[in-house]
Amino acid sequence: MVAAIPDDMFTPDVIADPYNYYGRLRDEDPVHWNETYALWVVTRHDDVTRLTRHHELFSSAVFKNDPKPAYPAIDESDLGLYEYVRHYQGDQFIQHDRPEHLDMRRIVHGYFTPKSMEAWRPFVVDAVSELLDAAEKKGRMDVMRDLATPLPVLVIAQMMGVPREDRPYVRQLAEKLLYIGRGEHNRMPVLTDGMKGMLEYVSPLVDERIVRPGDDFISVLASGEKKGVFTRHQVLVNTSLLLLAGHETTINLICNGTLAFIQHPDQWALLKKDSAGAAKWATEECLRYDAPVKSIQRLASQDVEMRDKVMRKNDRIRWFISSANRDPNVFADPDRFDITRQPNPHVAFGNGVHHCLGATLARVEGQEVFKALAARFPALQVDTQELQYQPSITFRSLKSLPVTWQ
Amino acid sequence: MARKLRVWVDHDVCVGNAMCETIAPKVFRLNENRQSEAVDPEGDTVEKILEAAENCPVSAIFVEDAETGEQLFP
Repeated sequence: MVAAIPDDMFTPDVIADPYNYYGRLRDEDPVHWNETYALWVVTRHDDVTRLTRHHELFSSAVFKNDPKPAYPAIDESDLGLYEYVRHYQGDQFIQHDRPEHLDMRRIVHGYFTPKSMEAWRPFVVDAVSELLDAAEKKGRMDVMRDLATPLPVLVIAQMMGVPREDRPYVRQLAEKLLYIGRGEHNRMPVLTDGMKGMLEYVSPLVDERIVRPGDDFISVLASGEKKGVFTRHQVLVNTSLLLLAGHETTINLICNGTLAFIQHPDQWALLKKDSAGAAKWATEECLRYDAPVKSIQRLASQDVEMRDKVMRKNDRIRWFISSANRDPNVFADPDRFDITRQPNPHVAFGNGVHHCLGATLARVEGQEVFKALAARFPALQVDTQELQYQPSITFRSLKSLPVTWQ
Repeated sequence: MARKLRVWVDHDVCVGNAMCETIAPKVFRLNENRQSEAVDPEGDTVEKILEAAENCPVSAIFVEDAETGEQLFP
């Protein structure tokens, strides 16, 4: 008999190495009912692809419609705060289904086309170069603090027209919002504090763009209110969402990718040999090998059969990028970091109508970072005894990544 | 006479975002794998087809002049 797979997804070993745990589920029970959190865990690439492309079967309106209580459990005294979280999250455009989702997506989609994002590449190149100049002088850096965090914050804040001096404050709020994917029973006060702070912060920026629209992204969101697609609360929540989503995930791409290169000197050498030519597929491999987002949730819109299991209407489903991206049925030698892998059908950005809005921006930022690191540094070494990850089920986030290059 | 186009979708890349189908529904249709197929390159104007190609989030759509072979997108 095979030993039962434990259901706690927040234990230190699962947080440190999700690939072993979710890989085991993928091999042994690919559509797994997790009794502890009352949800389905879907881990194979083909199932994840099907699930994400069939938005009519799997609803994204999770916070609005999930009838079950928060998981992991929260303090009973915080149930009121959880209602606030549901209302806040529920107004994000990504938490909607068609037809509303399509109307909302069409407001924001045009801003993020590959062609328009390409126009931002020179800005990204300059920003990377400035940050690495500063780091190089010090002779060491924390990739998280000195590069991965400031770069995407700089870029998204520039797109949204957020004043430069406010950016550290925005980052502070963003760190509170990250409690959404964590397991502490007392996480609600921190999370709602971040949400309230964010709404309060973006409110005057939105007010101004309603009256005097510019070419920034907040003006794009504000135009959705004038078109009757967004309420004011939705404009505020989505401004906050884009500020957060526009950088948190890219932080992880940069840190996790840099770490992968440090741990695979042969691939680092390959990148160095032709960084401009190799950066594109190298970035795709970083997205596959140690994806910034580990999992996303849906709700079954009706009874759905998957493999030999039946998911009932309103059941929770979590699909795991971290296992689908290592599925041996799709990727040869899936645990190998190989920057020449082509094609690379990873699902780091999801699939279907909810495919990540900022995918191209993340790609541009990743490519320019890996290109610049390879061009400037002979070799990087991790400068700590132990690397630690945030205890999140959603994000694959290092706490820090100190490196040296002597 | 209207320009004839050759339009195709790279299925190694297409993620089924379906924005092309929204913009030019007579030209693009999702197949059973929920990936886009260019079913009728004459189903809409050149401008609409190029708009659909440009709005593909993963640049999976290719557009050429069918007679001259000139690449119109990307």
